[in-house]
Amino acid sequence: MTFKVPIFDVKNLNFSVRGQKILSHISLEIFNAEYVAIIGPNGGGKTTLIRMLLGLDIPTNGEIKLFGKKLKNFKEWHKIGYVPQRASLVDQNFPATALDIVKMGRVSKRALFSRESKEDRDAVDDAMLKMDILNLKDKMVGTLSGGQRQRVMIARALASKPEILILDEPNTGVDIVSQRNFYSLLSKLNKEEKITIVFITHDIGVIADDIGRLMTINQKAIICNNPKEALSCEEMSELYGIEAHLIHNHKHEH
Amino acid sequence: MLEMFEYEFMQRAFLAGFLIAILASVSGTFVVLKRYSMISETLAHSALVGIAVGLVAGYNPLWIAVVVAIFSAWLIEYLRSSFSLYSDAILAILLSGSLAIAVVIVSLGGAFNNSLFSYLFGSILAVSSADVITIFVFGGIALSLLLVFSKEFYFISYDEEVAKTSGIKVRLLNYLLVTVVAIIIALSIRVVGTLLIGALMVIPTVSALQFRVGFLHTSLISLVFALLSVACGMTLSFYFSLPSGATIVLCVLSIFILSLIVNKK
Repeated sequence: MTFKVPIFDVKNLNFSVRGQKILSHISLEIFNAEYVAIIGPNGGGKTTLIRMLLGLDIPTNGEIKLFGKKLKNFKEWHKIGYVPQRASLVDQNFPATALDIVKMGRVSKRALFSRESKEDRDAVDDAMLKMDILNLKDKMVGTLSGGQRQRVMIARALASKPEILILDEPNTGVDIVSQRNFYSLLSKLNKEEKITIVFITHDIGVIADDIGRLMTINQKAIICNNPKEALSCEEMSELYGIEAHLIHNHKHEH
Repeated sequence: MLEMFEYEFMQRAFLAGFLIAILASVSGTFVVLKRYSMISETLAHSALVGIAVGLVAGYNPLWIAVVVAIFSAWLIEYLRSSFSLYSDAILAILLSGSLAIAVVIVSLGGAFNNSLFSYLFGSILAVSSADVITIFVFGGIALSLLLVFSKEFYFISYDEEVAKTSGIKVRLLNYLLVTVVAIIIALSIRVVGTLLIGALMVIPTVSALQFRVGFLHTSLISLVFALLSVACGMTLSFYFSLPSGATIVLCVLSIFILSLIVNKK
């Protein structure tokens, strides 16, 4: 019997701000090459959960392990690509071409005093090719459309050759056509490149066909292994109004 | 026009001025992009406390200015990252607080004189050979640090949180940046003066941003603007016997206005 180490292993996570509970008793595991969507009402704690997984917010209590290591001991951040909620709403005046932004993805991988290597250039080109933005290389990000900016931000995350890509409502400010193309791209990255995808979204209908697991967060978590069934079940339809119960239903190889 | 270079003090002033233009524009690029523009003004006023102590106590004012500016920079960064205070409010408090302390020290010590005036507004006559060497050595160290960590500073300026999740030591680098800025400001006081250094740090970058080009080109345009402002400002200062800091800032302001007009949509 083989034991798979989860990429994210969260146990009994709680988070409160000034006495108000934001997240309560969250336990979940996310494994390699999974495709997970997180949905839930505004203020339900989706972004807070992601921020805690990335070490940006500190939980009130509970345990988070990344790639089998406790969060405070985790150093291999290049394995994680993060695209925040506001990614496509860039500062119009920031002096950056699409290439400047994608190159940022290599910064933490480079040793001190080292110059840009062929490996760096290849990783940047590869990420831009995957996102189909090589033609936008020299364009200023402030002049790009919402959909194009979104691709640039994902290319930046991909440039570090991550094993997991975390996207927080990546479709903010993006038109419908770009959204559809975007989901097929995510699906492709998951299937062909075996990159684990975790993203927060409101568009459950659009992505239901592709995703492996659906996680709903409204202070507590409901995790469903069959998103198609989950979408029609009563708990899910009432998610945005009721207090949810934890259904922890893993079918992973342990 | 070249007759001004027959004077040794002008050679020193130009050398020091160009070094400061390079330092101010390179650090200014990160300062502006991080929305830290007011930090240069605040640190310059903090440096004034060091100048005041130096003048009254009879020590080298520049050295004490460096120490006080660094301490002030760390205090700003600590307050910004550890308390839920507005960054601009912290800067405003420290700016006026430092100025008040400096004025009180100078008044008590009876040091209100021409020497203080030259520290406030800059003077090309005041630049000694020792100043040029100090600016060269410490400016060289500051510039090296800025260039070594330029990619990291650029990333942090773009998005501090994403930089942090990429494994970049954001907190440490923020402290490093404000330390380097504090050193550069203290070094610039001789030529530009405490009240005007902020302008030389911020305006060349803001002018360069009007051209809407990538990071490297923005940095280079900012550098050219800063060098041009220092050259024009010091020439005007020599021929019209004006404080060098003020003439340099008027030149960089003219460049800013021209940049706005040229790049008007």
